[in-house]
Amino acid sequence: MVRAARKVTSGEVPAKAEAAEPVVAPPMPAKPVPSSAKKKAPEPVRRSLGTIITVAVTSLACFVFGGLLSSPLLMGLGVLIWFTLMSPFMAAWASIGAVTGIATLGTARFMFPNVLVEPPSKFKVGPASDYPLNTVSNKWKDLFGIWIVHTDQYEGKNLIYALSAVCTHLGCTPNWLDGEQKFKCPCHGSGFYITGVNFEGPAPRPLERVGLRIAEDGLLEVDKSLKFQEEMGQWTDPASCVDVV
Amino acid sequence: MSIGDYIRESQVWKSIFRHPAPVDRRNRVVVMLTNFFLHLHPVSVKQQGIALSYTWCMGGITFFLFLVETITGVLLMFYYRPTLQFAFNDILALRDVTTLGIMREIHRWGAHSMVITVWLHMYRVFLTGSYKPPREFNWVIGVLLLVLTLLLSFTGYLLPWDQLAIWAITVGSNMARATPFLGYEGPGALLLNVGGFDLITSGSDARFLLLGGRFVGEGTLNRFYILHCVAIPLVVALLIAIHFWRVRKDGGISQPL
Amino acid sequence: MLEHHPDLTAAVIYGLGWAYLLMFVMNAFWVKRSYDVDGNCHMFGQAIPMASFWALYAAVLGMVSIAHLTGSDNPQSFLIRMPDAIKDAFNAASDPRTFFALSTIGFIVVIWAREFLVTPTMGWILLNLSCLYLTLSMTDYDFRQIVTKPDNVPIVGMLFIVGFFTWLSFNRAVENDRRVAAGQPIREREKNEKVLVWPDLVYSELICMVALTAFLIAWGIVLQAPLEEPASGAKTPNPSKAPWYFLGLQEMLVYFDPWMAGVVLPSMILVGLMAIPYIDFNKLGNGYYTFKERPFAIITFMFGFLPLWVAMIVLGTFLRGPNWNFFGPYEYWDVHKLELLNNVNLSEWFWLDVMQRPLPVAPANSEWYVQFGYILLRESVGILVTLAYLFLLPPVMAATIFRSFFQKMGFIRFMVLANLMLFMASLPLKMVLRWAINLKYIVSIPEYFLNL
Repeated sequence: MVRAARKVTSGEVPAKAEAAEPVVAPPMPAKPVPSSAKKKAPEPVRRSLGTIITVAVTSLACFVFGGLLSSPLLMGLGVLIWFTLMSPFMAAWASIGAVTGIATLGTARFMFPNVLVEPPSKFKVGPASDYPLNTVSNKWKDLFGIWIVHTDQYEGKNLIYALSAVCTHLGCTPNWLDGEQKFKCPCHGSGFYITGVNFEGPAPRPLERVGLRIAEDGLLEVDKSLKFQEEMGQWTDPASCVDVV
Repeated sequence: MSIGDYIRESQVWKSIFRHPAPVDRRNRVVVMLTNFFLHLHPVSVKQQGIALSYTWCMGGITFFLFLVETITGVLLMFYYRPTLQFAFNDILALRDVTTLGIMREIHRWGAHSMVITVWLHMYRVFLTGSYKPPREFNWVIGVLLLVLTLLLSFTGYLLPWDQLAIWAITVGSNMARATPFLGYEGPGALLLNVGGFDLITSGSDARFLLLGGRFVGEGTLNRFYILHCVAIPLVVALLIAIHFWRVRKDGGISQPL
Repeated sequence: MLEHHPDLTAAVIYGLGWAYLLMFVMNAFWVKRSYDVDGNCHMFGQAIPMASFWALYAAVLGMVSIAHLTGSDNPQSFLIRMPDAIKDAFNAASDPRTFFALSTIGFIVVIWAREFLVTPTMGWILLNLSCLYLTLSMTDYDFRQIVTKPDNVPIVGMLFIVGFFTWLSFNRAVENDRRVAAGQPIREREKNEKVLVWPDLVYSELICMVALTAFLIAWGIVLQAPLEEPASGAKTPNPSKAPWYFLGLQEMLVYFDPWMAGVVLPSMILVGLMAIPYIDFNKLGNGYYTFKERPFAIITFMFGFLPLWVAMIVLGTFLRGPNWNFFGPYEYWDVHKLELLNNVNLSEWFWLDVMQRPLPVAPANSEWYVQFGYILLRESVGILVTLAYLFLLPPVMAATIFRSFFQKMGFIRFMVLANLMLFMASLPLKMVLRWAINLKYIVSIPEYFLNL
């Protein structure tokens, strides 16, 4: 395309090369072959991928377990397997693979922070007498994301427990609707009874309880690091609720 | 000699534009070959390949919107600090105080438009069968670009730090809790348990990795800011380059065989 | 007396006046085109140009526009508004069942009647109908609230654009199919000389860039980007929605557990999209619009894009209100709307209703494998159904309806195709099951977070 365009615009330059007779090149002389190359090169050792992976994994496993069990014998065995059964080429590739893998895992680990600025998991919520029977307290919802519930509707027992204000469907914060006596999630419409048990909408399981106990000074203490799931039978755990007598 | 001629005859001008203006056929060819920005294009194309009713111009518009987003995005970064203390107020200030704070509107509407034009580009490429050999791999790159466009938009959604932002991200990222094996509420997560110690908890699962915390908070804002402004745009730019290069190498814009 | 939420205000009427004026101008141009192209029809014993009907319509639009532009001083008694009967009909039709059924039926009609729909006149009529629907609906307060929300405006625009391009592609495809049937060359091969990129392509790119910049600036001036209250982790707004382009996925969350709707199905969508060029063995239709040469591919893709993606976004954006309940487009978003959502699992239905006995429960304090066995027993029906769906159906498909596909594609490619199709079909299937028998989960193992 370019050449054609040039030819049109710069027509006065004659194309000399095309007009000349084609020159036939003389045949090339045969390439001299050094005598050493005439000997047939040894077949390169090719191992199948399966063998290589087996060897690499076995030796690495020996090395790692040796390190974990602090057994120099096992570690030595790993090194021995590696250097005897791996061809240098494959050893190089396996090393690169291993280093890349470790680097990826390390980067992934780097992305998990060790220190978090989040509210404390243990806190006091006042005496049990603050929570009358069959009420749900929204007092701590904004700050700590829990409700304190006092009810006798769960298996007929008079209990106070702390429910985590996280919908078990997708983690939105449900609202306690006093008129309808249920927790209702605004995201996808899951509904839970006052007991925390799900009865409508997409939530697959009841709300979770968090740890609640009466501390030494007689106040209720919530421990959010503990969680109790009804469907796992964990609500029978005495740490999940406080009996009111 | 007019001033225009004087400028065009000067050494400076000639060092930048090595050929006369593209007014005749020869220079129209040469300009495509010598200009860095134009050399993305071939010198000539088939008429039907650039007909608007055929291409809908959606790929080009998407690329143009990417440029708009980059420019307005860089400008917005001068006025925005990604911390809980400042983020929302900075956006408020952009709206109420900053002259030409309309930059944020352009950025947001451009982002919405880009999502739509990416879909339509894909729709057109499918309907004309342009993903068929030899363009299979370029289609795959296109799908990756679609994902990255959605991720760009998703990460940007959080930055104003208003109710709309954090709850959209909360709803969107909560699904990561349920990733099989890697989310602490996903099927199989309980199996990853070594000696009574759960490997996958709310502090070590896929969602934690995404948010940098157990819920959408300070860490998330910073993470999404970096992803939105640096990490994803870099990858997108690389993939766009490959996408364009492959369009040329796979035989130019698709045509009936 | 003033209403709290007035359906019509002076500003709305005035704005609609301009919208009708725009439609009037558009149709005035159409009258000219119709006069040149459409010819006459015979009525009352004489030839009447088709253009006269369009002229009549345009004149009505013009009068409506004038009525709006001058009659805005008393909005309460303004007469031109959406009739309540039509509003009720639309509200009733926007139940998820009818909505999905109608979008599917609409899709089938578009495919089936494409040759009729792709004429320019039909396209113009459809455009006018949708514009009229929009302008008339704007007279309703609740409709206006949801449609003019700044983040929803692009979706409205997208509906028009998607509709237009679908129409355009069918127009070109039908024309090419007709040419192929008549033995003529397809349109993309005709008049296909090589032209220089400068100026033919570079100029149109430049014009496009300038127009787009102007468009974005205008949009930015007219519509302010949304900014709500500052974020608060404790107050979930009602409803809480994901960004609009993920609302199709959020809608799936109503029918599937998060691990399916949020992780597995989106991954399948992406893998499926990437796999398209490798499983499509059809060599025809490369680089031009056609329908008849690749009907299966086009129907499948369009079904995934239009009813399952775009329509789901519309549903999630416009029709889902507080508590993720369903609201018609003209319905007030009442937070206290009650909707019964008592769904049952397949296992509950099987054991309680069919077998008339309680769900099998492992004895207390039993070993983990005993509990696991009881769970398997409890969910056996669902597990069998799922396994049959995933492993029995592909061979059946290969032997029956997809026989020729299987022979041409080979085992692996066919299995990939079959599985992608099954996953895609699982969404409408689960929706229908939910509506028909209130099914919640086919397999429900909350103990291990495994619900299907």
